[in-house]
Amino acid sequence: MAQQAPGVRIDGLTVVYKTPAGELPAVRNVSLELASGTITGVVGESGSGKSTLALSLLNAVQPPGRISQGTVQIDGLGDVVGLRGNDLRKARGAHIGYVFQAAQNSLNPLKTVGKQLLDLGRSHEVEDLPALVREAKELLGRMGLDGARVLDSHQHELSGGMRQRVGIMLALVLNAHLVVLDEPTTALDMITQANILKIVREVHAERGLTTLVITHDIGVVAEVADRLAVMYGGRIVEQGPTREVLGAPSHPYTKGLIRAIPRLLGDIDEAQALPGRPPTLTTVPKEGCVFRERCALRMDVCDTVDPEAVAHDSRIVACHAVTVKEHA
Amino acid sequence: MITGTGITKTFKQRGSVLAAREVQALRGVDFAIPKGGAASFIGESGCGKTTLGRIIAGLEAHDGGEISIDGTAMSSLKPKARQPHFRRIQMIHQDPYSALNPTRTVHQTLNAPLTLRAKQTGRSKAWIEERAAEVLNLVGLDAGSVLGRYPHQLSGGMRQRVVIARALTVDPDMLVADEATSMIDVSLRLGILGLLKDLRERLGVSVLFITHDVATARYIGDDGELYVIYRGQVVERGPVDTIIADPVHPYTQSLLSAIPVLHGLERPGDDPVTPTETLDDSVQDEGCLFARRCPFRTDACTAKRPLLQLTEGIPQEHACIHPRRRSVVAQPIGQE
Amino acid sequence: MSAVVLQSTTATMRRNFWSGVWRVLKRKPSRMAGVVIIAGFAFMGVFGPMFFPDQLPGNPDAITQPPSWAHWFGTDPQGRDVLALVITGSRYVLLSAAVTAVITIVIGTALGLFSGFKRGRWDAVLMRITDMKLTIPGLPLLLVLATVWKFSSAVQMGLVLGLLGWGGVARAVRAQTLSLRERGFIEAARGLGLPTTHIIGKELLPSMAPYIAMNTLISVTGAVYSQVGLFFLGVLPYESDNWGVMLNLAVFQAGAMIQPYALGYLLAPLLAILLLTLGIVLVVDAMDEIFNPRLREE
Repeated sequence: MAQQAPGVRIDGLTVVYKTPAGELPAVRNVSLELASGTITGVVGESGSGKSTLALSLLNAVQPPGRISQGTVQIDGLGDVVGLRGNDLRKARGAHIGYVFQAAQNSLNPLKTVGKQLLDLGRSHEVEDLPALVREAKELLGRMGLDGARVLDSHQHELSGGMRQRVGIMLALVLNAHLVVLDEPTTALDMITQANILKIVREVHAERGLTTLVITHDIGVVAEVADRLAVMYGGRIVEQGPTREVLGAPSHPYTKGLIRAIPRLLGDIDEAQALPGRPPTLTTVPKEGCVFRERCALRMDVCDTVDPEAVAHDSRIVACHAVTVKEHA
Repeated sequence: MITGTGITKTFKQRGSVLAAREVQALRGVDFAIPKGGAASFIGESGCGKTTLGRIIAGLEAHDGGEISIDGTAMSSLKPKARQPHFRRIQMIHQDPYSALNPTRTVHQTLNAPLTLRAKQTGRSKAWIEERAAEVLNLVGLDAGSVLGRYPHQLSGGMRQRVVIARALTVDPDMLVADEATSMIDVSLRLGILGLLKDLRERLGVSVLFITHDVATARYIGDDGELYVIYRGQVVERGPVDTIIADPVHPYTQSLLSAIPVLHGLERPGDDPVTPTETLDDSVQDEGCLFARRCPFRTDACTAKRPLLQLTEGIPQEHACIHPRRRSVVAQPIGQE
Repeated sequence: MSAVVLQSTTATMRRNFWSGVWRVLKRKPSRMAGVVIIAGFAFMGVFGPMFFPDQLPGNPDAITQPPSWAHWFGTDPQGRDVLALVITGSRYVLLSAAVTAVITIVIGTALGLFSGFKRGRWDAVLMRITDMKLTIPGLPLLLVLATVWKFSSAVQMGLVLGLLGWGGVARAVRAQTLSLRERGFIEAARGLGLPTTHIIGKELLPSMAPYIAMNTLISVTGAVYSQVGLFFLGVLPYESDNWGVMLNLAVFQAGAMIQPYALGYLLAPLLAILLLTLGIVLVVDAMDEIFNPRLREE
């Protein structure tokens, strides 16, 4: 089934979690567009809401969380938030491939990879299972593995890098054209990480996918993504073409984050950690800018008014100081 | 302050139905970390850097070789007599959450070693309180707000600082930080690294930093020495900035080439090295350990294992029979 | 910072602990119910028999009466009020259960900790002993013992049951010790030179408290059943007045299974046992939260 790489439009998405203190938002009023055929990277630290955002694409937010507002439009599927039951199950896997965080640990340790592949196929009512296995072997071969051997192996017989590749294969084997990778290279060493990222780029191009990568590591996004979105405290504070955002960041958080990365060259005194710490679900301010406590450009309006996402060419930034500067 | 020569360590792997497999974690490693100095061990996971760090901190025994602390050879002492020496070297673990007892508050955690110290040196209870506050101050925490808290009420960065504070209660001469920043948010890592550098300057404590992220190794001090470890062998060794700018061993070059380039802010290095990928895990007895993955290997490489030797003209050592300087690291744009 | 701060911090923490316990218990009404039940039984066991004379008055005119307003659970074959019997009989059961609990905790925890911490040969030896003990069938052994030992005192019963029942706790504690001893904070404690007694007492034990509490409560429940069962089977003499004896008499003498009059006599002790077990189970639910500061503080 030949599919076009779907475009995705997330509009005004809010996801809340039930806590003893009431329903608190993990993701608040997020709007993001994944253009067909692009790789987008979402970067955020702990508590930024990035994993929740990724789960929302599958409408897989589990209680005590729920999507309280907004839509997630996927070409060919409609609004995922409205899908339920069987339709939703079919959508996941056949349309959307999801590679979980630490895919290395989400394989069933008691079954061979091949058996899990068949389970997957059967649960999606794939009729031609041998063809599925062939496709899987081809994908694994494409990623540099001996397909037959891997399919016959158990999870503990494979290294971390191999398991990650198996995770990617399982996400693609049902011919999904929208793929979400959640922290695809955590716990992998540098060289394996570089290999996996190369594979992600190549497979994305060859199969004509739309890809979303969620990570805390800006380096990963820099190597792989066309477009970068920075999340903080449940909001997207800045998004734009990766090179531009990295080369000339607008939002104070983005600037601070880049400056806080240990670098290989250059004066070590130039790098600075961001003061304070990232907010958690319960400490995120309900009003005003979520970043104001750590911001050097803080103004009075930041305490009360939540900055709107304002577009400047291909860049979208949500910051009062930036908006003021642009209009000056 | 601490030197080691020819350190070897073998692990017996159980779990195989047939004979237990032996894994050589360390193959004759030499190191020397001066008082107040900084050293980093870098390498992939499983290369032996953590094992070596634990041996240095006295948490594990080595099988062969000799360790000397301040000139005293450890092998000349009985095991119990070695303890006070190794106590001067404190370990900072990777996971700050499991390094603190979740059922005890910060105050209780610091109290235990301080009480012991007070007993040994005949100090009063008041001294314990003062010292606890002092130590928390040294790591940049406010004693008043942190003492009564449990670990789960602190952020990752604060927990790591408490772990460091606890290590400082015994007045150590050296801190071994094993991936101490890997589980901390990126924007906070520099805080911990800066703290370690600060402690070096203020207290004269040496720091051994074990990591897979080479860039972090620079931030504990630019006078630091870098050891690149591959499969239990030191393949390159020298000043941090020299090795980053002019790596000589193909493995070091591969590691540095693999570091993601922040496109838009940096451009890729001139001459990156990509090792050939092999899924064969076995180890040959002879020949260079890296040969199987090395894109520059020749037949000579598989014949004999190269030992660490000096590079011409600079205080840098490498273990390769075809060394060549390559500039592999990403360069900042607009700055050359 | 001075000694004053130290003292106030310790006192504050103790206060916080108990207020935290209160909060945990309030979270689920079932836990409060469990606490009330256990407190009720404790009160019954300690003070209950004081309300009654040593020899309960038997009314020969009211033998084996079914429940009525005068006697809520009826009377026994000697005309004694069943409810009074349950209350006076509770002391034996509860006292021996308490003794069992103490012995199980002390021996089980000590062995488990030692085994798990030392590992190696000590561990192997102690665990083999535990295994052997666990394979000894408890009930038949008790039956055999009962032929020579009359268990007239609750303490004796508790002692024997305790000595038979520490295996489970020992294994659980050992498993916990093995897994905890690899954790960073234990290694750090050793690296700091803290004495082994401190590591075991202050670092390991508090982390294992919920497991110890839960396993002990469960083995106590088992012990209660064991002794009630023994008395019910009639292998032990009726000198002691307790629930098991009541059950035995109810079934075998008063014919409670055949005719309805003695139903109260049968049901009262049964209900008492069930209620006690229920109370224990409900409280066990709270154990984990009480001892884990993160769950407690929430």
